[in-house]
Amino acid sequence: MLKITDLHASINGTEILKGLNLEIKAGEIHAIMGPNGAGKSTLASVLAGKEDYEVTSGAITFEDQDLLEMSIEERAREGVFLAFQYPVEIPGVSNVNFLKTAMNEIREHKGMPALSAKDFLRLVKEKSALVDLDASLASRAVNEGFSGGEKKRNEIFQMAMLEPKLAVLDETDSGLDIDALRIVAGGVNTLKSANNATLVITHYQRLLDHIIPDFVHVLYDGKIVKTGGKELALELEEKGYDWIKSVE
Amino acid sequence: MVELIALNKAEIKYSTVQNWYPGDKEGKGGVFNFVTKRGLCEAHAKISWTQVETGSAVTWKYPSCILKGDYSVGEFFSVAVTNNFQQADTGTKMVHLGKHTKSTIISKGISAGHSQNSYRGLVQIQKQAAHARNFSQCDSLLMGSVSGAHTFPSIECKNASAQIEHEATTSKIGEDQLFYCQQRGISEEKAISLIVNGYCKEVLNQLPMEFAVEAQKLLSISLEGSVG
Repeated sequence: MLKITDLHASINGTEILKGLNLEIKAGEIHAIMGPNGAGKSTLASVLAGKEDYEVTSGAITFEDQDLLEMSIEERAREGVFLAFQYPVEIPGVSNVNFLKTAMNEIREHKGMPALSAKDFLRLVKEKSALVDLDASLASRAVNEGFSGGEKKRNEIFQMAMLEPKLAVLDETDSGLDIDALRIVAGGVNTLKSANNATLVITHYQRLLDHIIPDFVHVLYDGKIVKTGGKELALELEEKGYDWIKSVE
Repeated sequence: MVELIALNKAEIKYSTVQNWYPGDKEGKGGVFNFVTKRGLCEAHAKISWTQVETGSAVTWKYPSCILKGDYSVGEFFSVAVTNNFQQADTGTKMVHLGKHTKSTIISKGISAGHSQNSYRGLVQIQKQAAHARNFSQCDSLLMGSVSGAHTFPSIECKNASAQIEHEATTSKIGEDQLFYCQQRGISEEKAISLIVNGYCKEVLNQLPMEFAVEAQKLLSISLEGSVG
């Protein structure tokens, strides 16, 4: 589904990713862990197409297409979803209106007719229950006045609505208490299927107690320096990142 | 020229959507729109001005309320959008004469291109206007790096029992907001229209239904191609 080959990317002339390789197949959950400044969030931003980041060399193919050639919205419409570390507030725009616009743009891209109001609302009801999101939040302005936990749950709610092929969760666990963490993880697990894939970017092991990854990668200094199964996360938790640094 | 007179306990709501020819991309040939709009409120009367200004090369317009009667109410809700080389200088005058008079001002300015957008307003509480109240909110949204937003609020208060509030914000349409929308599959143009309409919501909500739909479309058209 996703293949990243020797990816180099920089921001304001500083190279952050220095030859990153990663392959994700449908049905898999991958976790990327690493110390601060390793390039975790950069990777998420590059995948989504954020313009501040410049890809200097390397390739990313997504479903046999050149991802780097696609605009931000094309990537989204093709099924790349980024759950933001810091979801943005959009005052005056209701969550429902926002999602409806997004859904219909994606459907149009796929040659599907717009959803009827009735079908859309049924979907909102069904999917918001998945992350225990209060129905009243759906009619409030996007993320405005939401608590940290509500914002993250809203991201997963949007993910459930848009049904992406590849979901990238950028430090979704940061700022979550244990209950919210469980709800968010539960949502992600329910959405897992043989046709989609998830890339979990996290600093801590605790999210991986709830979302069990098939692969764990350690990102350090812009490269993946170690790959293993879910036990690697536990090992990291125990030994810290210094251990990886010294391995190198 | 528009004059409104609201007699005892009368209520008038005056809504305008203005879309005169703004001129070409350089602003040449556009309409100059200099208007006088004023209203007089007797006791317990209410006048509400709602305007959406998108057209004209130059707009000078200050719909006003003279709150003569006790307990009269004046309201002003405004959205002014300027693009290319348009200039809009608009606002209101609220003159409080009666006791317990109340006024509300909500002004939303959006400037794109090389345009200049000003709010100019006067809130005047006269000596006899005991317990008068005013609330003003002036927000400016900037798009691109060469547009201008200005606010010139004047407040004159001659009665110590009055309560006056003024809030003002200036913000730039956030790249983060755009990125967020686009990451959800929404095109840049649609994202801007969504964000701008959200920003103006308090004012657009004041418009009658048919007007509101038209105003929303007009906002999007006025800002087309203004991303920078």
